Amino acid sequence: MKKITKLAAIAALSSQLAAPVWASETEVVYKFYCAQCHGLTGDGDGPNVTEDFPVTPRKFADATEMAKLTDADIRNVIMDGGPAVSKSPMMPPWGKTLTEDEVTGLIGYLRVLCACEGP
Amino acid sequence: MKRKLTLLASAACLMTAATASKADPSAGQATFEAQDCVACHYTEGPARETTIEDQLAKTGPELWYAGDKFVAEWLTAWLADPQPIRPMQFNSLTDENPGDHPALDAGDAADVSEFLMTLTSGVVEEGVVRVKKNAKGRQIFTKKMPCSGCHQYEGRGGDIMGGRTGPSLVDAGARLNPDWILAYLQQPETFKPVKMMPVFVGLLSDKDMANVASYVANFGR
Repeated sequence: MKKITKLAAIAALSSQLAAPVWASETEVVYKFYCAQCHGLTGDGDGPNVTEDFPVTPRKFADATEMAKLTDADIRNVIMDGGPAVSKSPMMPPWGKTLTEDEVTGLIGYLRVLCACEGP
Repeated sequence: MKRKLTLLASAACLMTAATASKADPSAGQATFEAQDCVACHYTEGPARETTIEDQLAKTGPELWYAGDKFVAEWLTAWLADPQPIRPMQFNSLTDENPGDHPALDAGDAADVSEFLMTLTSGVVEEGVVRVKKNAKGRQIFTKKMPCSGCHQYEGRGGDIMGGRTGPSLVDAGARLNPDWILAYLQQPETFKPVKMMPVFVGLLSDKDMANVASYVANFGR
């Protein structure tokens, strides 16, 4: 059932995108930057998450938690880092690294991973 | 007279020995090419990568600014006995570093190191960073903008701490030029325009970047 929901979310996202290429570019961006800590599939298990990693990175597959975040919350934490939303500085600010379009793409990509929408 | 001749002879011997043991950058370049090091490492700047795909297509780090980046003695020793610097294989989030970098014999290592140390960007200002136990740098490295999230380092009890996607910084003090660390933080677009590490320009002041460089360059000293 969860799989069907995820597929539906992917279909919905795909229909919103101007070009499918954009989605694949976003996946490249996600896997290059975010997956280091959040894991390739969004389970919060990237190779940086060793036993001394002081926090648990957000699991994007966790729909319950992700549904509590607005798209604006997600944008803020990506751009300005964890402290921008009272979370850990282990999430660094990516605002000087990513373009606005890349961040927008990532927000959509995370919504696919969680198969959820914001409040 | 006899003593003078002996001195001259000794000086001549020393000069011969020095000449014989002096590393040769031209020979090093020839070895670098003959060993096909260029298959993984490019040596002519400026940086070529403009997209993530460009970066992912590489199989080893660029070396066109090796002379800015490395400490010569470390580089010579490493080329003769290469040990993994990155916990993970270059550009991989799934595979461990296999530690299979080819080793050179001592003479070739000295020559190749000499060659690589001639490669510079021209933008690194020398003598800027003072290496010391830098409390401010430590606070940034471990807490404020935790470099430790992606880079290994030696914790207070001697334990190896930190993340695994970036190069280990455990022996950074022996390996890296402190002034290059600062320049790398200040001018990421010059050295590595596309990289997994965030850009900190505009987030950390030049002073704080120098503090981080000072702290990191003290590792292993």
